[in-house]
Amino acid sequence: MASSGLRRPNDPPLLILVSLADGPKHGHALAKDIEGFAGVRLGPGALYGAITRLVERGLIEPLGGDDRRRPYRITPQGSAALAEALADMRRVTRVGVARLGLDPA
Amino acid sequence: MSPEKLLRWYPRAWRERYGEELLALIQDTVDDGRRTRWLRLGVIGGGLRERGHQAGHAAKAAGRRLNGPDRWSLFIAGLVLATLPETLTVSRSQAHGWQAPAVDGVLAAVALTGAVVLANGAMALPALVRFLRAGGWPKVRRQVTRAAVATVAAGGTVAALSAGSGSRSYAQLNTSWTYSVGLLAGGVVVAVAIGLWATAAVATARHLTLAPRVRAVQLVLGAVTRTTVMVMFVALVLWWSASQSSVLLLVLGLVDLGTGSVMVPSRVGLAIRKGRRLRAAASGKPAVNPSAQRTHGRHRA
Repeated sequence: MASSGLRRPNDPPLLILVSLADGPKHGHALAKDIEGFAGVRLGPGALYGAITRLVERGLIEPLGGDDRRRPYRITPQGSAALAEALADMRRVTRVGVARLGLDPA
Repeated sequence: MSPEKLLRWYPRAWRERYGEELLALIQDTVDDGRRTRWLRLGVIGGGLRERGHQAGHAAKAAGRRLNGPDRWSLFIAGLVLATLPETLTVSRSQAHGWQAPAVDGVLAAVALTGAVVLANGAMALPALVRFLRAGGWPKVRRQVTRAAVATVAAGGTVAALSAGSGSRSYAQLNTSWTYSVGLLAGGVVVAVAIGLWATAAVATARHLTLAPRVRAVQLVLGAVTRTTVMVMFVALVLWWSASQSSVLLLVLGLVDLGTGSVMVPSRVGLAIRKGRRLRAAASGKPAVNPSAQRTHGRHRA
């Protein structure tokens, strides 16, 4: 399992990393994007809690700009952690799908 | 409640770093038509989580500053203090044979530890008053408040334990799992409170201007405090062994007594030598090492 602490597919930190994988975004853009691709509505409290943890762990970083709507981007460590988490999920998904007979492994 | 007021749920440092961004996001979310009640609850929940996270960080940092024996000393002191009301009432009144001197030993060690800690604090009092008068309170307010809150929690736990022991005998308490778990939890809570006071004291001491002579004496008092806590532990184990007629606990107590007898002189000696070096450095004279002097004297002879 990923050592980055990303375990569940609806984990706010994982969703934020996935959202930032295609380019920097600020808080509101992140919330809208996540709602669009995952169907999860992250409130401001949950979103900024996750952003704080990701910044502390060096997985994302703020970019300069408007103070009130500061964009964030994924760091190389963040990309590596995301790749590791997604590989874990892919492995579990493949086994689950095969065992359910939904798709030949 | 306005968004600005909601920010008060977050720690100050967090507000300074992320406050404006969060306010902008709240505004955007309200503009999207999101129901404000859930939004408000979510933001308050986020603030409480941040405060919890910050408290966890502070506890970890305090834990890192303490070495292994210090943590162990804190836990022992916590355990002894958590059981103090019960020791004074239930156990002392029911003590017989050589249980009574063992209980008295625990109480004497507690009193001695308290006296040494108070003496240590009293020596720094003039410097502390100067620091506070010079407007130093905001620099230590957070640590002292945290320790005070932990002390209230510890007081509540000890009161609950005391009420839980009620009129039951020591033998009855001894076989109660609930009481044992409560006792361990109480020990941890009291130890955390003592640890936070120790952290607050260290943080405050960094701002104080203490004379080298005072610092030297405080080094020795610090070593004596660890020693009295060790005495407390030995007396506690011997008392448990007497109450439960346990040979294993008796052996453990005697082993601790032996280990302590070896460690204490070296610990106090080390503190004295450090204090001498401190005073010598302050006066500009080279530190005199008595053991080296004795060796030198023998060579001459």
